[in-house]
Amino acid sequence: MLIHVPSVERLIEAFRRLPGIGKRTAERLALHVLSAPAELAETLSDAVRDARSRITTCDICGNLTEANPCTICADERRDHSVVCVVERPAGAMAIEKGGTYRGVYHVLHGVLNPLEGIGPAELKIEGLLERVRRGGVREVIVATNTTAEGETTALYLSKQVSALNVAVTRIAHGVPMGGGLEYTDDQTLQRALEGRTRL
Amino acid sequence: MRLNELTCSGFRCLGELQFLPIPGVNIVHGRNAQGKTSLLEAAYFAVTSKSHRTNTESELVRHNHDRFQIRAEVARRDREVRIEVNWWQGTKRIKVNHVALSRVSDLLGRANIIFFSPEDIALIQGAASVRRRFFDMEMAQLQPSYLAALQQYRQVLRQRNQLLRQPTPDLPQLEAWDEPLARHGAVLIEERRKFLRDLAPLATRAYAHIAPDEPVEIRYHPDVPDAAALPKTLLKARNSDLRQGVTNRGPHRDDFEVYVSGKPARIFASQGQQKTAALALRLAEIELVHDRTREYPILMLDEVMAELDAARAERLLDSIHPDVQCVLTTTNLNASLPSAQRASAHFLMQGGRLETR
Repeated sequence: MLIHVPSVERLIEAFRRLPGIGKRTAERLALHVLSAPAELAETLSDAVRDARSRITTCDICGNLTEANPCTICADERRDHSVVCVVERPAGAMAIEKGGTYRGVYHVLHGVLNPLEGIGPAELKIEGLLERVRRGGVREVIVATNTTAEGETTALYLSKQVSALNVAVTRIAHGVPMGGGLEYTDDQTLQRALEGRTRL
Repeated sequence: MRLNELTCSGFRCLGELQFLPIPGVNIVHGRNAQGKTSLLEAAYFAVTSKSHRTNTESELVRHNHDRFQIRAEVARRDREVRIEVNWWQGTKRIKVNHVALSRVSDLLGRANIIFFSPEDIALIQGAASVRRRFFDMEMAQLQPSYLAALQQYRQVLRQRNQLLRQPTPDLPQLEAWDEPLARHGAVLIEERRKFLRDLAPLATRAYAHIAPDEPVEIRYHPDVPDAAALPKTLLKARNSDLRQGVTNRGPHRDDFEVYVSGKPARIFASQGQQKTAALALRLAEIELVHDRTREYPILMLDEVMAELDAARAERLLDSIHPDVQCVLTTTNLNASLPSAQRASAHFLMQGGRLETR
C-alpha cells in the first residue's frame, strides 16, 4: 500500500502538522498532490518556500510582513498613539478587514499558558512595554480572546501597561451585529447583559 | 415523568431486552450478577449519557461485541421524549425524538432520573472530593451558569497550579491568575450556599420520614466562607502556595458535612445510618427537581433494601410521593414489599433476561 512508502508518509505527516488537518484530510491532500499533474506539486512547494522566505515578523509590532517595518507601522496616516494588542496575526487581519480601525497593532504570538510552558518571556510582551516606554502611546486596546488564558493575559498586560501611566482598554463582548438573540449562546448573552450601555 | 419503555442490546451482560415499567413501583428481583444493576445503568445512561459506576465506556459493551444500543421512551408532563443511544467502537451518537444531538451536553435536562446505588454510601464515608463532585453535578444539571463558572474555575486553577510548580514563578503573572480564580470562585461559593439552603431542609425531612428519632442535618463548610474575601485570602496564602507548588485555599477545598443527631456522620454514624443519610440526599434531590421543574423525576433504587431494617425500608417506600415512578432492585423479594396503597409490578432478571411476573 502507498501509505507505507516513506516519502508518502513524510508528506502526510507534514500536512498533519497544519492546524485543522486530521489524519483523513492529510491522506486525501497527499494523495491528491501525488495524483494531480506534477505542476501542482511544483507550484505549491514553490509558493510555500517563496512566501516563507519573504515573510518575516515586523520588528515593531510582530505582525507578519514582507516589508520591515510592516506597511501598517510605516503608514504615517495611521494613529500611532493607539495600539491594539492581539494574540495572533489572524486577529489583526480580522480587525483590518473591518476597515475602520486607524491605530496600529501589536501581535503577542500567543497568550499566557503555564500548562503549555508559555510565560511572558515566550510572548512579545517586552516589545510592547518597550514601545510604550519610548513614548507617544496614549491607549493600549487589549483584544485577546475571551478564553481563561486570553482574559488573564489581558489582565496581566493591563497591570504592566498602567504602571507606565498609559490607558488600557478591553474590547467589548456581546451579541453579534445582525444576529438574533436566539442564536447567541448563554455565556455571551450573560456578558452582553453585564456590559449593557445607557441609550 | 415516567419511563414507558426501555430497550437495549449489547449492553453489559444484558440480552436483547425490553422493559415495560408501570407508573407506580417496579420491583426487579433476581440473584446476584444477573443484570439487575445493568438494567438501571442502561436507563441512566440513556438519560445522562454517563454511567453511575464507570467512566470507561468500553466496559459497557457486551463481551465480544463492539456496539450497544439503548432506547428510552419517557413521557413528560408536556410531551413524549424518545432517546436513542448508539455506541459503536468508542463513538456515541444520541438522538432525541429522531434528531441527532450535536453536543452530548444537550441531552441534559431532557429527562431526569435520580439514581441511588450502594456505592452512594461514599457520599457520607468518602473524602470531601466525593461530596464536591456530587454537588457540582447536581448543580450543573439544574443551572447551566454554575457549570460555566465551574469549568472556568477549574481551568484557571490548573494554570495557576502549573505556574506555582515552576522553579521561580513570575509574581505579576501569578497576580493575573488570582483575579479570575477569585471571581469564578466567588460564584461557586455563593451558588453552593444558595443550593444548600434549598437542599438541606429537604434532606432533613427525607431522613426524618425514614428514621424519625434521629435528626439529620447537612452543612456547607466553605474553605473561604466570605466570597468577597477570596482575593485577600489568596494573597495571604501566597507564600505557602509558592512553597508547596499548589493552590491551598479556595472552593476546590470546600466540604459538605452530614450530621446525624448532631455528630458528623462520616465518623460516628453506623453503616445503616450512613446509608439512610446518603439516601436522604437522593430523596431530597427528587423534591428539588420537582421544585425547579414542576415535575417529579424517575427514581431508581439499586439494592436499597440491603442493610436497612424492615421498618426503615417500609417507611422509605411510604415516604416517596405517589406520583414518583420507582424502579428498585432486590435479591430478596420478601424484603421489598411496597406499601399497600401503591400499584406495583414484579420482574425477574435471570442471566440478562427479563421476565414479567
